[in-house]
Amino acid sequence: MASESRNILLAFKAGRAFRREGTNYVDPHPAKGAVMLVNGEDGLLHFVWKDRTTGAEEEDLILFPSDASFAKVTQSAWGRTYVLKFLSSNQRHFFWMQDASTRRDDEFVGNLNRLLDDPEIIPVWDSRQPEASTSTAPPPASAGPSGAAPTPEQLAQLRSLITSMGASSTANAQPQADDLSLGDILTPANLIPLFTSHPNLLPAIFPFLPPDVPPTADSLQRTINSPQFRAAVRDFDRALRTGLLGGLVRSLGLPEEAGTGVEAFLRAVQAQAAREGGGDHMQTD
Amino acid sequence: MSGDDDSSGWQLTESDPGVFTELLKTLGVPYIVDDLYSLEPDSLAALQPLHALIFLFKWLPSTEGEPDVSTGRYDSEFPGFFAHQTVNNACATLAVMNALGNIPSLPSGPQLADLMSFTTGMDPQTCGMAITSADWLREAHNALSPPSAISLDGLGLPKTTEDAYHFVVYLPVMGSVYELDGLKAYPVRHGEYEESPEGWLKRAREVIEHRIGTYPTGALEFSLLALRDDPLPSMQSQLKRLQDAGRDSEASEIIVKLSNENAKRERWAFENSLRRHNHMGLVHALLLALGKAGTLDAAKEGAKKVMKTRVERRKELGMGDMDED
Repeated sequence: MASESRNILLAFKAGRAFRREGTNYVDPHPAKGAVMLVNGEDGLLHFVWKDRTTGAEEEDLILFPSDASFAKVTQSAWGRTYVLKFLSSNQRHFFWMQDASTRRDDEFVGNLNRLLDDPEIIPVWDSRQPEASTSTAPPPASAGPSGAAPTPEQLAQLRSLITSMGASSTANAQPQADDLSLGDILTPANLIPLFTSHPNLLPAIFPFLPPDVPPTADSLQRTINSPQFRAAVRDFDRALRTGLLGGLVRSLGLPEEAGTGVEAFLRAVQAQAAREGGGDHMQTD
Repeated sequence: MSGDDDSSGWQLTESDPGVFTELLKTLGVPYIVDDLYSLEPDSLAALQPLHALIFLFKWLPSTEGEPDVSTGRYDSEFPGFFAHQTVNNACATLAVMNALGNIPSLPSGPQLADLMSFTTGMDPQTCGMAITSADWLREAHNALSPPSAISLDGLGLPKTTEDAYHFVVYLPVMGSVYELDGLKAYPVRHGEYEESPEGWLKRAREVIEHRIGTYPTGALEFSLLALRDDPLPSMQSQLKRLQDAGRDSEASEIIVKLSNENAKRERWAFENSLRRHNHMGLVHALLLALGKAGTLDAAKEGAKKVMKTRVERRKELGMGDMDED
């Protein structure tokens, strides 16, 4: 239903989740997506779920004012699963928030519910947006039927949304970008020669072993061979592939960009190694 | 995990003797859990005194539904402790509770004793709810689940490695062998056991072997765990007695057993440290070290080749490239 006469009232990053047949489990689907509330050219209110990778609008529900609501699934352990439900039917559509930060969940949901109740309202957005944030996708504020001119803040939000959605679609234009996995890099075959050839690098690694194991090369070797370490590497690899780890990698002293994929992470680590290696860690052999 | 409606904050844990033994320690129970590799009378005898067997299994996806494995009868008048599994992921701890709740004069810490007396007389459903709403028990259970699940939680990653094992306890209660399965309405009574040196284990072995035999070949993945007295104290006193009596060759046998047992405890402690640890910093530090040693690029190239081969092999197998990790 792409057309210039339609009007996006609100949009935020969210994926879909599906109920496992015959159970109450809801499994999040990994596809990157966005929930959009749209005033269609048909004059009706549409709830659209768009795949941010393919751009396809895979779900397009026509809603009647006050019939639908978007509620948090309180049983969800991690707290970011939501359900779209209807007064008029038992239909349920599940979604999970994909914005890297939880900070604006309530704001998105509050505005969404107000619009579901009355599509004529003008959403109120928190204007304290971080400068140059690329990890959040502030929605475009609607100019609304009143024709009020957008404020500079609204324009900035709009630009930021377009940038972030555009950025993810560019990244996804190269689906082979992450054609390697961390698990195939952090293998005993790659690491054990490192421990013997560069013992001077070990003291910088020991602090990251579990605190209650002895800081020795033997502990390190046992750790990298353990199923627990391998599972952690696999989880981290998969998390990096979501492209949403910007906040997390900053805690490792890496730029936010390093959290956008496995390749980007490795590039950032390589750059960090070059930076630090240029100092007192310079190798002589 | 995320979207998991019924886990109430209980995280998935590994079904490993080291994990169970750590839980028992937290509960103040002087027992351990050991892997059981065989149901032969000799290997069971070596583990005596043995309080319960935990049978954990999962069907492989090729099979449909569980075959009828019943050799016993529901006992709705079961006189002991029985809790239903009311939340997901708690099955391992619940199985342990169902076993401990039926061991006469169980030595335990005050929290467990309180919980046991609190649940006395409750129906299985209420009992299950009471147990799984005990915060301290949930914390003890969660203590050994991987913290990566916490730090990466906000991403709602679908878990591919979740192994849905099912736990069933077999143990003697008032002269009969019982099967306690938190997903069944009542305990299953498998009849009285004969008085013999092997005692209840003879009947339990028959029941479990029959159960394993009912599944089509290859359709069942299972392991057996034994809940038993911690053997270390008795080994130590035995050693002292033998040494005092100057029976050196017998004493040296005990020393070997003791050192094996201690090596196992050391391994469990190490693995439990790894389970509690968030490895993200280590992953970063290792990659950084590869970068500083100048071998990261070569490792990346190698990893790309491995991935390429893997994807090609999957395509050959007709699996497409849907699941590239």
